[in-house]
Amino acid sequence: MKTVGCWISCPRRCFAALGMLLASVLVVVLAGTLHAQDDALKVIQERGTLRWGADAEGGGPFVFPRDDNPTLYQGFEVEIADLLAAKLNVKAEFHQGQWDKLPELLKRGDLDVVLNGYEWKPIYAERFGIPLPYYVYELQLMVRKDDERLKSWDDLKSTANGKWTIAVLGGSAAEEYLRQNYSDSVKLLVFDGNTDAMHSVELGIDGVDATLQDLPIVTYYEQRFTKLRRLGEPLAPGYYVMLTRKEDESLTRALNQALLECWQDGSIPKILRKYGMWNEIQQHRGLLTDERGNFRPDLEAEIGDAPQLVPESRFIVLLRRVPLLLQGAFITVFLSLTSMPLAVAAGLAIAVGRLYGPMWLRPPLGWYVEIIRGTPIVLQLYVIFFLLPEFGPSLPPLVAAIIGLAVNYSAYEAEIYRAGLLAIPKGQMEAALSLGMTRSLALRQIIIPQAFRLVIPPVMNDFIALFKDTAVCSVITIVELSKQYYIQAQSAGAVVELGIVTALFYMAMSYPLTILVSRMERKMAEGQR
Amino acid sequence: MIEINDLHKRYGEVEVLRGISMTVERGEVAVLLGPSGGGKSTLLRTINGLETFEQGKITVAQSLELTPAAFSHKNDAALLNIRQQVGMVFQQFNLFPHLSVLDNVTIAPRTVLHKLKAQADVEALELLKRVGLDHKAHVSPTTLSGGQQQRVAIARALAMRPKAILFDEPTSALDPRMTAEVVSVMADLAKEGQTMIVVTHGMGFARSVAHTVYVMAEGRIAEKGPPQQIFEDPQQEVTRAFVSEAKKG
Repeated sequence: MKTVGCWISCPRRCFAALGMLLASVLVVVLAGTLHAQDDALKVIQERGTLRWGADAEGGGPFVFPRDDNPTLYQGFEVEIADLLAAKLNVKAEFHQGQWDKLPELLKRGDLDVVLNGYEWKPIYAERFGIPLPYYVYELQLMVRKDDERLKSWDDLKSTANGKWTIAVLGGSAAEEYLRQNYSDSVKLLVFDGNTDAMHSVELGIDGVDATLQDLPIVTYYEQRFTKLRRLGEPLAPGYYVMLTRKEDESLTRALNQALLECWQDGSIPKILRKYGMWNEIQQHRGLLTDERGNFRPDLEAEIGDAPQLVPESRFIVLLRRVPLLLQGAFITVFLSLTSMPLAVAAGLAIAVGRLYGPMWLRPPLGWYVEIIRGTPIVLQLYVIFFLLPEFGPSLPPLVAAIIGLAVNYSAYEAEIYRAGLLAIPKGQMEAALSLGMTRSLALRQIIIPQAFRLVIPPVMNDFIALFKDTAVCSVITIVELSKQYYIQAQSAGAVVELGIVTALFYMAMSYPLTILVSRMERKMAEGQR
Repeated sequence: MIEINDLHKRYGEVEVLRGISMTVERGEVAVLLGPSGGGKSTLLRTINGLETFEQGKITVAQSLELTPAAFSHKNDAALLNIRQQVGMVFQQFNLFPHLSVLDNVTIAPRTVLHKLKAQADVEALELLKRVGLDHKAHVSPTTLSGGQQQRVAIARALAMRPKAILFDEPTSALDPRMTAEVVSVMADLAKEGQTMIVVTHGMGFARSVAHTVYVMAEGRIAEKGPPQQIFEDPQQEVTRAFVSEAKKG
């Protein structure tokens, strides 16, 4: 029941995390000696609530806000959670968490159980307690109705027209299935949300041809995405399972008991029928558990081509992920180096326009700055990536990311430049004008070069911030350093080790900039003397 | 060289120039004296188009005319022409800190007159020599003393070969020793026949260099005459009060 893992929300804090790691190792040792018999179930029953975690952003049919009262949630998982909690004589208490962070929240001790479409995987079995599955899913391929190029799964093997692009949810079984079976002919576009992935197919963003989704999601969202159709039969069945802390054996066993009862009394099938999720394959649920009460799929019989557990040295496992992080770091650098010059140029133009431009131009430029500064960058990226294609061009993710970052930062650079321009004494413009210069010549030769020197420190400061802000581009499928870290840390179960590597990468990128800034500042100070 | 006709300027309700008329001939050194707030600096700045005016006319070298109409659109040709012909030296020097001393002098010839850099550099070094600062050509102006900066500013104005130079209290920010440096450069210019209009509190310069002294008060020219008359035999009460006050100070 004690917290074993330690989660770091951002790589920058990795050294603090290292300290926490040492502390938690101590806790584990103590816990191991003091608690031979776990009392997880007892704690829950004394508290009277079963804290279950899910991400309502994932939407229907899993967990989503109710139409009549959006502060409450509905979905088949909400109903199953209520049902199971009742069997344990407690109340179910929903906890919102970002989907891919739920296992870490569980480890931290914020949750008792994760119940949110998590697919059974060896990597989870290694790290978590896993009660019996509550649903058997299959994967369903979807394409645009007007797209005749894909007729069956077999067409995906052909690369006659280049690789196919398929949108998937990051970390999902669909992603893994395609990676294992179609890596030669299929390029993956990884999204943070199911509906984003489906939407991208409708819009044909970045040449997306199809999306592979869990069947329940297809069933639920089919009506909304009218331009999409199913292609081929569902395949590759797998299990939705709950996750518990590995040491909470008593809870795992109690949940197994509760699930079996609910299955036998027909209450779970009833819920599944209600959401249109019932099908024959549900009869073939695996019921095998190991000696600790954890669900074990019969790999041979039930999931033919599921990945096998091959024990490997942990060091090798980690080492194999470092090049991927390096790749992510490269994307981070590339995004920063391309978007910052654009942001600076646009910011300068906006600042000059606001201070010296024609009167009619000044208010709109002011609105631009206020709107961009007043809205989060995630929203701006969404607009550029998902909304723009409705009216205009559909931009590839990398282009959209560069533009999004440049637009966002241009507003801040504009304000920095405005301050810089205002800080130049009035006499400088007068002196330039008195020499016969036009205003624009005076701006270019006299005012802007001085303002430029003045704003170097704050602009470089923003540049360092931008390095880290590139992480938000993951919402439009960009896998830069932070996103790659989350993905790899999640799948390798190496939050701390890879966190340290990631933090070192970030510092290796930003430290040279820091040195450059202080050197420039010193030079400026000398110039001003 | 510079002719001003019935110039009126107001800041909102306050009329700061109330019908100024004056003529400065080629080679003449005109000094504007008078109590603070009398409109001296404002008048000087209107000549160079740094201040607008509502009524009247300024004519430079017979052909360039500045009227209130010139301010209705920016970058008007009349404004640019006059500024190219009439240089200005400011109380705070206003050198460009991001450029070397040499580049401060050459920037306008290069960017406005499109002179070649080599040509502009040679001329600039010549001018810096005239103000005694050719050895400082390649340093930053921020490393110079106030008097040196003001001499560079004079060289910068001269680099445009102006028909006239306006000096707006050029020595007010300087201590006596540095003032002497700058005044001596200005006296040399006057000797060489440079047309100048100078706003100053320095009586020494007015006495020894000026051809004509204008005493301004309350937006008008109270009295005008050769320095002898103004200092020894003032005709107006305002002048008498100002001169005796200045002598005491």
